[in-house]
Amino acid sequence: MFTRRSAGLAVAAMFVLAAPASAEERAEVIHWWTSGGESAAVKVFADQFRAAGGTWVDTAIAGGANARTAAINRTVGGDPPTAMQFNTGKQFDDLVENELLADVDAQAAAQNWKAILPASFVQAVTRNGHVYAVPVNIHGQNWLFYSNDALHRADVQPPTSWEDLFPALDKLKSAGLIPLAFSGQKNWERNLFNNVMAGRGGHDLFVAFWGKRDVAMVKGPEFRSIVETYKRLHDYVDPGSPGRNWNDATSLVIQGKAGMQFMGDWAKGEFTAAGMTPGKEYGCTVLSDHGMAYVMGGDVFAFPRLKDTSQTKAQQLLARVLLEPKTQIEFAQKKGSIPVRLDVDTSSLDTCARKASGWVADAKAQVPANELLSPPALTGAIEDIISQYWNDPTMTTDTFITKVANTLSQQF
Amino acid sequence: MRIGSRLAAHIALAPALLIALVAYCGAMSWTIWISFTNSRMLPSSVFVGLRQYSSLVANERWQVSVTNIAIFGLLFISLALMLGFLLAALIDQRVRGENLLRSVFLYPFSMSFIVTGLAWRWLLDPTFGIEKVMRDLGLAGFHFDWIVRPERAIYTLVAAAVWHAAGLVMAIMLAGLRGVDPELWKATRVDGIPTWRVYLFIIVPLLRGSFATAIILLATSVARLYDLSVAMTNGGPGIASEVPAKFVMDHLFDRGNVGLATAAATTMLITVVAVIAPLLYWQQSRPGARRTA
Amino acid sequence: MSGTTLIPRGRPPGKLSPARMGLYAFLAICALFFLTPLYVMLVTSLKAMPEIRQGYILAWPSAPSLAAWGKAWFSACTGLSCNGIRVGFVNSLRIMVPSVIVSITVGAITGYALSFWRPRGAVVLFGVLIAVAFIPYQVFIYPLVRIFSHLGLNNSVPGIVLIHTIFGLPTMTLIFRNHFAALPEELFKAARVDGAGFWRIFGAIMLPMALPIIVVAVILQVTGIWNDFIFGLVFAGRANLPMTVQLNNIVNSTQGEREYNVEMAATLLTATVPLVVYFVSGRWFVRGIAAGAVKG
Repeated sequence: MFTRRSAGLAVAAMFVLAAPASAEERAEVIHWWTSGGESAAVKVFADQFRAAGGTWVDTAIAGGANARTAAINRTVGGDPPTAMQFNTGKQFDDLVENELLADVDAQAAAQNWKAILPASFVQAVTRNGHVYAVPVNIHGQNWLFYSNDALHRADVQPPTSWEDLFPALDKLKSAGLIPLAFSGQKNWERNLFNNVMAGRGGHDLFVAFWGKRDVAMVKGPEFRSIVETYKRLHDYVDPGSPGRNWNDATSLVIQGKAGMQFMGDWAKGEFTAAGMTPGKEYGCTVLSDHGMAYVMGGDVFAFPRLKDTSQTKAQQLLARVLLEPKTQIEFAQKKGSIPVRLDVDTSSLDTCARKASGWVADAKAQVPANELLSPPALTGAIEDIISQYWNDPTMTTDTFITKVANTLSQQF
Repeated sequence: MRIGSRLAAHIALAPALLIALVAYCGAMSWTIWISFTNSRMLPSSVFVGLRQYSSLVANERWQVSVTNIAIFGLLFISLALMLGFLLAALIDQRVRGENLLRSVFLYPFSMSFIVTGLAWRWLLDPTFGIEKVMRDLGLAGFHFDWIVRPERAIYTLVAAAVWHAAGLVMAIMLAGLRGVDPELWKATRVDGIPTWRVYLFIIVPLLRGSFATAIILLATSVARLYDLSVAMTNGGPGIASEVPAKFVMDHLFDRGNVGLATAAATTMLITVVAVIAPLLYWQQSRPGARRTA
Repeated sequence: MSGTTLIPRGRPPGKLSPARMGLYAFLAICALFFLTPLYVMLVTSLKAMPEIRQGYILAWPSAPSLAAWGKAWFSACTGLSCNGIRVGFVNSLRIMVPSVIVSITVGAITGYALSFWRPRGAVVLFGVLIAVAFIPYQVFIYPLVRIFSHLGLNNSVPGIVLIHTIFGLPTMTLIFRNHFAALPEELFKAARVDGAGFWRIFGAIMLPMALPIIVVAVILQVTGIWNDFIFGLVFAGRANLPMTVQLNNIVNSTQGEREYNVEMAATLLTATVPLVVYFVSGRWFVRGIAAGAVKG
């Protein structure tokens, strides 16, 4: 049944690609992009889809978990949307297993994804040899943003490695500024940990942790020094950091009250809203000790299996439009992400994105984000331990390592 | 009893019965069943016995959640009851501007926690909030950073929750107080009993029903405490202010671990039934016709 | 406090005794505690973002402006469409009004039946209702979605009304049952002796005496249903999404920038409907109705 369906889709796809699309391609899309900047980015998708003959019906639900819950409940309730958003990675595994998603093999072949998309992302959307989602962007998760004004006042140069980070933080501290603006919520505590792991441990260690769940590595000396570096960073955050939204931490950097913040590239949206330009009032860099280790995550759209065939055409049209070069570039401009297509001209993007386009094209400079390697249940369990370790001064590195090792050995 | 009325009573209870059977018992049975499987993001039918329960018991975050909800529950219910009753009794004293006062105390209940919780967090934030304001006003050594201290964070949740619910308790108590026979007031005045005694020993027992209602309503909101903990502390610092409903929610949706979430929900159910069943049985067996829950 | 301030009846006393002043002082301090978060939300909603970023949360805005309020209502982005929260206002009303009426009616009747008539198994039913109220209700979403889809109730207003009735039943039953149980049994017995049946007693005697508790029920249900997000999102259907969905889209964000002034304004705007209900319901917090009926 599987292969027949894929063959059927492939045949249908050939007709769709060959013939002009009729204006009946109505696609209801569930996603979680609701802020001003995100809305402008979604508009790019909607406009391009309309230009190609489709109608974009928008169902935006803020909060990734909310959107995914609504999408999944509607799918099992018999009224699925045409497309639904997930993060690149393992969030839709169960849907594939329960045969609730339609594959996009035809699209992947037609646009030759293996050639134009990063290998880790193609892998992330492939299950059992079939492709189930369309990656639409790349978000870098381990950036370091800094306020040029704050660094100047503390007489500090932007750090270029984990070595000169700590002296820089010390100088910021003695200048009376908050060295590291931080948002003490569990996912950002995990994000910071990933940042240290990728930056100091490199690609192999990162994948060994999240992907292979290598307990021996976790008990080794290299991992231990990473854990200790992570804990050291805690000395440089202000006491008000627990519970703070990441936007409020970025605010501190924007105001020049704090020197630096580790965050993903979506933070640029806050800087932009405050009227700042990368390279001028603020700078961006990735700290990495063993060659570049750019942690890449992103968003994908998956397509529920539908009984209504006219909707199937809409799905295919959407899948095609999302990856067209024009769509990719304009979306990246508005969203602050990087086009997931490696063969587009990135010269119109901002400084930070341009820095990253080089890394994105080089397989050796990349690290797949932990969403691509680890199921949400495992990520969550580890996240709780990381958060405890970060916030509890009495928890020793040994305890942390033991707990992590135990959790990695569990079944998820 | 006439047969017609008996029948009418049964018919009147039919909707509730239907709902209880299909929606509640049905859904709860499903939940209990799922807690014995390895369901991740979607329900699965792979039976794994008590594995989820042993993970649950060993889960440090769950242990902290349970302790927290006990502390929170005790403090919140007692404080909300006391404050709510006090406000109702005071407002009932023919104060001017009763309508306005009632609205002032009741308005917190009207707002969703997501943003009011944020306002509370800002107020309690040592960098922006009351601590800073007091220091700016000259009190140099003023400390109020409970929200970022692991051992104190749960108390900040209590404060915000009392702020939210005291008005509702006040409304319930007011409804009860307004039903008190005016002759009673006159009689106690004639007898010359001090006010506080009247309230404590006469009025409070009279308002048994209102207290029972208030306690159960408050207790259900304790069990379901989620929005506030997300908006104020996100369960932090670390896992210091985690609560069971947040545990269930996080694992149900975000963490794709439906098996663990349903195990937690079932554990909550068992706890509740273990408390309620004896209470109801005791009520049933007491002599006398009618009583409140 | 001396005994003279005791009787809560009649007009407020003209003179301010020390006890009276103490009373007002205490109420004023409480009012301060209650109003501070509202003040923070108000001033934040009147400021522009640069001023909010500075973090002086209690400071009066340097240039107060209703721009954020206008944006929240008319033009805030809630996804692709940037039309503010007004989009869902009518839907919220369409959901709330029938849901409040149905859930209170079913709860009142059930509470009445359980308190006076107590057919067999009443206690068990009551126990089940109460026990379920303690479970985080999100657990019920998946099984109910499946059940509703079999019944064809998904994505409809009747569906969401039924959901609100289902989840309102425990608390509604509880408050009505307790209220009726506190009424003197002589009332009920007298009516039975007079030959009144189930429905007659309910309509002619019990309901008029339940006015204060109906007000409480209205407060509870209006608040709960108007502020509900997850049920409306899952069960109401795209054409009937309540205002809370737009509100959620404004105040919740994983990676987007936050406009706190718009968020505060949107929350305050959303709260106006329950607040109006609270204020209007005040006139029914009158005393003496129940007492008078008992004596008569």
